[in-house]
Amino acid sequence: MSVDNVDLKLLIGGPQGGGIESAGQIVLKSFVLKGYHVIGTREYQSNIIGAHSYFTVRVRANRPGAIHFPVDAATLLDAESIFTHFTDIKSGGFIVYDTGAVNQKLRLIAPMPKPLKQRLNKFFQEKGLEPVAGSALKVAEENGVKLIGLPMKELIRKVAHETGAPLSRASKTINTMGLTAMLYLSGVELAWIEKAINVHFAAKKKVADMNVYAAKLAAEYIDEVYGGPCCFIPEGPHLGKDVMLATGNEIVAMGKATGGLTMQTYYPITPASDEALFLEGHRNLELAPWAEEVLNLKKLGAVVLQTEDELSAIIGALGAGAAGARVATSTSGPGFALMNEAISLGIMAEIPVVITLWMRGGPSTGLPTREGQQDLLHAMFSGHGDNPKIVLASGDHVEAFYDAIKALNWAEKYQTPVIHVLDKYLASTVTSLHREDIDPLKIRIERGKLVENPGPGYLRYKITEDGISPRAPMGKTIMTVTGLEHTEDGMPTEDPVVREEMMAKRRRKFETIANEIPSEEKVVLHGDPDAKITIVSWGSTKPIILEALKLLEAEGIKANFLQIRVFYPFPREEVLDVLTRAETVIDVEQNDLLQAAFLIRGFTGFEIKHFVKKLTGRALWDTEVAHAVKRILETGEREVVVNGGA
Amino acid sequence: MARNWLEYKTDAWVQWCPGCGNFGILNALQRALAELDIPPERLALVSGIGCSGRICYYVKGNTMHSLHGRAIPAATGIKIANPDLVVIAEGGDGDMLGIGVEHFVSVGRRNIDITVIVHDNSVYGLTKGQAGPTLPSWWRTKALPGPNLHDNLNPLLLALASGYTFIARGYAYHVSQTKELIKKAIEHKGTSLVQILQPCPTYNNIMTKQWYEERIYYLDEEDPNWDPIISSMDEFKQKIGLIMGKMVEWGDRIPLGVFYVNISKDTFEQRLEKVIANYRELPPAKRPVSANGKPLIDPWEMFRDKVIRTA
Repeated sequence: MSVDNVDLKLLIGGPQGGGIESAGQIVLKSFVLKGYHVIGTREYQSNIIGAHSYFTVRVRANRPGAIHFPVDAATLLDAESIFTHFTDIKSGGFIVYDTGAVNQKLRLIAPMPKPLKQRLNKFFQEKGLEPVAGSALKVAEENGVKLIGLPMKELIRKVAHETGAPLSRASKTINTMGLTAMLYLSGVELAWIEKAINVHFAAKKKVADMNVYAAKLAAEYIDEVYGGPCCFIPEGPHLGKDVMLATGNEIVAMGKATGGLTMQTYYPITPASDEALFLEGHRNLELAPWAEEVLNLKKLGAVVLQTEDELSAIIGALGAGAAGARVATSTSGPGFALMNEAISLGIMAEIPVVITLWMRGGPSTGLPTREGQQDLLHAMFSGHGDNPKIVLASGDHVEAFYDAIKALNWAEKYQTPVIHVLDKYLASTVTSLHREDIDPLKIRIERGKLVENPGPGYLRYKITEDGISPRAPMGKTIMTVTGLEHTEDGMPTEDPVVREEMMAKRRRKFETIANEIPSEEKVVLHGDPDAKITIVSWGSTKPIILEALKLLEAEGIKANFLQIRVFYPFPREEVLDVLTRAETVIDVEQNDLLQAAFLIRGFTGFEIKHFVKKLTGRALWDTEVAHAVKRILETGEREVVVNGGA
Repeated sequence: MARNWLEYKTDAWVQWCPGCGNFGILNALQRALAELDIPPERLALVSGIGCSGRICYYVKGNTMHSLHGRAIPAATGIKIANPDLVVIAEGGDGDMLGIGVEHFVSVGRRNIDITVIVHDNSVYGLTKGQAGPTLPSWWRTKALPGPNLHDNLNPLLLALASGYTFIARGYAYHVSQTKELIKKAIEHKGTSLVQILQPCPTYNNIMTKQWYEERIYYLDEEDPNWDPIISSMDEFKQKIGLIMGKMVEWGDRIPLGVFYVNISKDTFEQRLEKVIANYRELPPAKRPVSANGKPLIDPWEMFRDKVIRTA
C-alpha cells in the first residue's frame, strides 16, 4: 500500500463517560505519530453517563475534510454500540467486539432510544433472528464484515493481575484493548500505539503503563487467535513535524488568546463552554520571546468570567469593552437569544465586543449536542432597531483560528459587535494542524482609533467622515456611553436633526466596514471559476464540500464552490458575480429554512433553485453531498434531504 | 483634599419631576464623590433604565447608560477590566430588584468592589406608576387599576443572603446623612448596597415624604453602641440576629443607617490577583494586547499541551 492510497475510516463507539473521547484521541495520536493527517469527530447525546456516543476517525496523507460511512473498521465493545453500528462497516472491513456482549438482548438496553429499538426489533423479526447482539454481528458477517472477538473479561482480569491494579481500574483499559485490536489489524504497529498511549497519558505514568500493558495483551491475542495483521501501513509523509491536535472550540480559544483577548465572559452552554474552559485553563499567558523582548514581561493574564446568565455575559463584556478591554463572549443559540437586547446596545453605544456563536440544532432546546446551522438569520437580525453589525462564519479550523483574531480586530477597529458564527460540528471535531496552518505572525493585531491620551474636550461620538470616532478607554478622560440616541458627547437627545446626523454617522461606519474588508475575505470561490455548476454554502460544510468536489470530479462532474465568509455587510457584488455565471446553482445548508439562500435572495435578488440539506444533527458527509448533487443534476429535483449517521 | 461638588455637575437639564427624591440622591452622591476626592476620570457610574437611570447624564465622570436591570453586570465588567476605577451601579427598585434581580444576587457572590445604589420608590415611575418590587401587597398607589397582588421584597435581607459585605439604607431627602452612607459604601472594599428610600411625588401617593418622615429613624442615633462591623465568623454569629432583626423592621418604624459591614471576606479583585498573572498592574483594560502589532504569544508554545512532536 502506498502512502497516497491510505484513506482509513474508523469508528469507536461506547457509553458516554466510558472513555470513548480518550480512545478516539489515542487513535488520532497513533496516526499523527505515524506521520498522517487526521480528522476525528464526536457524536454524543445530552447526557453525562450511559448514553451511546461514538467517535469517527479518518486518516490520510493530506488532511481529510470529512468523515463518511461505511467505515473500514469499528470497535464496538458494548451491545448498544453493536446494535447501533453493525451496518456501518463496509464489506471487507471488520468489527472488534467483546465476546461477552453477544448474548445481550436488545430489549434490555435501557439507554437506547425507543424509536431505534423499534426499528431494530422489526429488522430482526423480518430476518427471523433473535434480537441479541450476536444476531447483529451475524448480519454484519453476512455482509462481508469480519468479526474480531476479544474475551474482555478474561483480558481485564489479566491486566489487573499483571499490573496489580484493582479490577475496577483495570476494566477501564477495555477501550485501549479494543482500539489496539482495531489499529493493529488495520496495519498500525504496536510501537505507535504504545507511543500514543504514553503521549495521551503523559501526566499519569501509572495509567499509561497499565494501558500500554493492555495494548500489548490485545495485540498478542490478535496474533495468536487471528494471525496478526497481514501487512502494515507505510509511515506517513509528515514525520518530524510539530502537529497540533485541536477541536474547533480549542482552536478558537487559541485564536482569541493569540489575538490579544484580555477578557472573556460566558455562561455554560453546549457546545460553547469548552472554548471558555480551555481559555480559562490557559489564562496565564507565557509571552513569546519576541514579545518578552519588547514588553519586558514574562507573563500576562486573560480574565475568563463565568457569569450568572448570558445577559450578564454580554453586558459584562460591553462594560469591559467600554473600559478598554479587548473582550469576547461565547454562547450558543439559546444564550444568543438572551443577548439580543445587548447587541443592540453595543451597536448604538459603539462598543467593541466579539460574540462567538456556536450553533447547535434548534429550535428551542432542540438537539443541544448535535449539529445545526440554524442561527444565521438569528445572528444577522439580532438586536432591535436598525442593527448593522459584522457577521462572519468560519469554514474550518484554520479559518476559525484567524477569524477569531480578525473578529477582535474588527470589533475594536469598527467599535461594534462582531458575531463569529461557528457550529457544533466544528466545536467537537479534532484535526491535525501544522505550523504553516497556524502561524501567529501571519496576522497583525489592530485596535483602530484607540486613543490613549484623549485630552480635554473629548467627544466619544464625534462625527467623522468614515463614521468612526476616536475611542478612549474609561479612566483616561470623562465620557458618557449610552444606548439612547445622543449628541457627540453622549448626552441624550431626541432632536430630529441630530437623530439624522447620528443615523448617518453609523451608516457611514457601516459603509466603511463594507469597503475596507477585502472581497477575498468576504467570499471564497473554490475550484474552477469557469465550472458550470456552483455549490453555495457557508460555515463548517466547507471542507466537506471540498471533498465532495473531488468525488464529483472523479466521476467527470466539474463544479466549483462559493463559500460565503462574511454575511454582514453582505457581499452583494461578489456573490452575484459568481452565481450569475453558473448554469446550475446548488445551495447546501444544515437548516430547514435554507437561510443563506434566503439572504442571497434578499440582498441580491438571485433565486437559487436547488438545495441539499441535512437536519438530523449528525455530521454532513462528503459522499452525501456528492450523491445529492449528482441526483439534482440527473433529475432536476429542487431539494435533496440527506440523513446519514446513527 | 476634598473637591467642590460642583465639579461633578454636568450642564444637562435634570428632567426629574419637581420634588423627586432622585434630586436628593444625586446631590448626596456628588457631595460624597467630592468629599472622597475622586477625580471624575476615575469614576465609572453605570445606570439602568427608568427615572433613576438618567443619573448618568447628571454626574461628571465615565458614565454608562446600560439596559433595564443590567447596571450591575456592566459595572462588573468595567471593574474587572479596570479595578482602579471607582465603580457605582445605580437603578430603581424595579430595575435592580425586578428585571435585574439575578444580577443583584450574583454580584454578592463575587464581593466585587462596587457600590450598588437602589433608588427605591416602590413604583415604576417612567412607565407611569406600576407597582415596584418593594410595594407591599394590597396597597394601591394612585396609577394602579387595582391593589398590588405581589408581596414586597426585602432588599437588605436579599443582599445579606447574597453575600454583600456592606448594607445600608438611607432616605433621599436626608442629603447629608445619605452622603455619609454613600461615602462609607464607596470606601468599603467589597460589594456595597445603599438602598435609598425615595418618595415619588407623582405616582406613589402612599409612601410620601410625610409617610416616611413619621417612621424613619437612624440605628446609631437610637443605639449609640450600634456596631455593624463584623470581622470574623464568631462575630458574625454573635451579631447577625440583631442585625437581621433590624433589617426586617418595617411598618410603623423604619430604621436607616449602616446595618452590616463584613470586613472578613476577600474581594473579587483579590481573588483574581491570586490566579491571574500581573492582574493588579495590568488588568484587561490596561494590559498590552500585542508587541507592536505582533501577537504576544506563540500558540505552538503556549498551547503545547495540544502539540505532538513527531519523531
